Amino acid sequence: MNWKNVLLLVTINIKSYRLIRGSQFRRFREHRLMVYALYVGACFIGGLVGWVIGNFYAGVSDLTLRGLLYQGATQLFISLPTLALLYSLIFTQMSQVQRMGAKVTIQPLYWFPITWKEHTLASIIASILGAPLTITIFVGSSIFAASIFIGLVPLAALTILALLASVILASVTTEILKSVQTKLGGVVTKAAGRAAVWVRLFGTLLFFLVFYLIYFSLYYAVTPIGLVQSIADVQLALWFIPYVWLGMILFTFVSSLWLEMLVLSIASLIFIYALFMAAVRVNVRFGLYEIPSIRISSGAYIPKAGLLARLGFSSLEAAIIKKDFRSVTRRRELMYIFIFPIVMIIAPLLSSMRTAGGTQLPAAFSSFMFAYLTLLPGALIAVTLGTLIIGSEGESVWFLYSSPISSKSLVRAKYSFVALFSLVVAFICSTVSGILTGPSPRIIIIGLIEALFLVFSLTMVSLTFGIKGADFRELPPRPRMIRPVWGLINMVVCVAIGLAIIAPLIPVGLRLMFPSIDLAPSLFSGLPEYYVYVSLLASGIIAVVVTWVFYRMAVNSAEGLLLKAVGVED
Amino acid sequence: MLAVKLMGASKRYSDVIAVDYLDLDIEKGEIFGLLGPNGSGKSTTIKMMLGLVKPDSGSVNVLGINIEDDPVAVKRKIGYVPESPRLYEFLTGLEFLDFTGDVYGMEIEEKKKRIEEFLKALDLEGREGDIISSYSEGMKQKVIIISAIMHKPELLLLDEPLSGLDPRSARIVKDLLRQLASQGVTTIMSTHILEIAQAMCDRIAIMYEGRLLALGTMEELRQKARMPESGLEDIFLKLTGTADVKPTVEALLK
Repeated sequence: MNWKNVLLLVTINIKSYRLIRGSQFRRFREHRLMVYALYVGACFIGGLVGWVIGNFYAGVSDLTLRGLLYQGATQLFISLPTLALLYSLIFTQMSQVQRMGAKVTIQPLYWFPITWKEHTLASIIASILGAPLTITIFVGSSIFAASIFIGLVPLAALTILALLASVILASVTTEILKSVQTKLGGVVTKAAGRAAVWVRLFGTLLFFLVFYLIYFSLYYAVTPIGLVQSIADVQLALWFIPYVWLGMILFTFVSSLWLEMLVLSIASLIFIYALFMAAVRVNVRFGLYEIPSIRISSGAYIPKAGLLARLGFSSLEAAIIKKDFRSVTRRRELMYIFIFPIVMIIAPLLSSMRTAGGTQLPAAFSSFMFAYLTLLPGALIAVTLGTLIIGSEGESVWFLYSSPISSKSLVRAKYSFVALFSLVVAFICSTVSGILTGPSPRIIIIGLIEALFLVFSLTMVSLTFGIKGADFRELPPRPRMIRPVWGLINMVVCVAIGLAIIAPLIPVGLRLMFPSIDLAPSLFSGLPEYYVYVSLLASGIIAVVVTWVFYRMAVNSAEGLLLKAVGVED
Repeated sequence: MLAVKLMGASKRYSDVIAVDYLDLDIEKGEIFGLLGPNGSGKSTTIKMMLGLVKPDSGSVNVLGINIEDDPVAVKRKIGYVPESPRLYEFLTGLEFLDFTGDVYGMEIEEKKKRIEEFLKALDLEGREGDIISSYSEGMKQKVIIISAIMHKPELLLLDEPLSGLDPRSARIVKDLLRQLASQGVTTIMSTHILEIAQAMCDRIAIMYEGRLLALGTMEELRQKARMPESGLEDIFLKLTGTADVKPTVEALLK
């Protein structure tokens, strides 16, 4: 093993962040002093937090409570390595799948004098540096500082070592899964044939669904104390799984089982090394694996006029809409658009399971759930996709610039696609919410109309900012699509406009949620029956005005974009 | 009749002058070659003709229309092949060409006929249903050339059009361009392959640091360089002042 090579590769990996961040951030990120300052800062803040917690413990005079806190701290320390491992794996896996669309080139391995062992080790170290190490240092220093007051210094020191080991374990596992996923993706693509695109889309969605279910069930299904307790118990029951051995080392330490502790420590080290060797082997086999090409169509070419033409779109607009639909279903970096509504349904559902505790949902919560699921997912898709749809053209944007496309056609095509897509999402989510919460048909219709207003207006707002802030660079690991500052501006403006659109209906909503509570008698109690229709009309007028104003702005911006040909460098 | 007229067109990027007050008249039906070392302003000139780059001063007139007055009308009549083009990699070759046909408003039957003819001619049959990300550079180049020609443009702006093409496809494209020229289609191409320029172009412009060094037929260029028997490579190297490469090579070998 040439350690100089490993360090060089780690440096290169860190520098790859240049492609993601701006030049200002680059100077900050790569400055050695700043890197150390980050870790020192995490250590300092963690120590401070630990000191506050420790002081709190020291201030408790009730002996029973002190005993409980002591016991709780011990349980927490024991469960921390497994908990850290669990969270690291969930998050690295989710980000891994999102990054798979970007082709990270490791071809220099073909001809540079670098071994796979060096490459794998560098990759593992590089993925530990940054956020994982900062969080570990923060947690480590806080438990150490707190343990001085609690009287658990030896256990805390051992926990810190176990935490570091669990971060390494998570990183090595991710390294293996990364290559296996690539190979597996290739096998599935090959086997699926012409259905490969759909298999890939639904496979990715399923993957996220499973991980989010695990994550949210961890987060929502039990209380934090319950989670710590259950992990401490479960890892004892699952002693045969090497991933829980780090936690068990701490348990054996607390229980003074020295021989078991020694055996588990040695076994853990062997396991990490074996896993590393497995990662090297997997990388040797699949590290440079190229996913086979996807064949989507074969046989005779039959062009069709299509539904879009019958709906009144010009052939040019219909072509752009069709292309954009293919773009979101085939590009991995855009697939997460589909994840939003799924997560937005799962999260409150699991939360409601805990809140309700198996009993019927309270009326206020039920009404809130209906409004949340009817209005938010569609609007969120409109905002997200609206800002990205122009930038998603990427470096292929030259084709649009060189084609006979007018600014109006471009805006119409992009707007129609985003609005239609968001409407479908809004409709599906409101149907799910209707089934779950069972509101009256009148409420369902009102909700749908309001969702329609939000989608139509917020799509136009986001498209306008998406044109203004479009970023066509396609550098690894992912295409940029929107400049962050414009994304932020869009989010703020959309929140303000969204609130303005739903504002007239807020009294109706509050009335539905809290029928028995007289929130503001003068305003709400005397609401006439027709108020709901007046408020819908007012809401609609606001939406139409916003859409029209932003349409004018979008066309002007598109004209500028097509004239300036932004992103076409000489 | 002029296909393209540049009058005092210039473009500057910060401190770098990409194109320096360029005057150029290109006749209809002409195959016109733009030559020059890297960074001489060829690609910028082509992009100005397409409206992708707005000149800082001067005007660009394409097919009788000022590009700034009606860019959409001009683009409808142009076919463009950029240098190192990026395609929509998530589409299949067929879907991309179908998309191109729709963007240029081609009739369904004509679009089908043209796509099938071109796919067959350029040996893309059998791979047209694969997504473009799996194509080789040469295959991508073929797709982009088809998309530039299939809608029967009046003016072709080609930036290194033959790079990556296999000999058979390159020959087909060259013959096609000659045929199109005889039908009145103007071709303006930028290339570093001087043999192609010499063999194909009616007139050649040699650019250097954004300026026009020489313009004319091969014979006129020979006269200007006072090299009556020489080929384009020698003329090019002499006019651009880069002929003496011997000391550079010797220094590299030390």
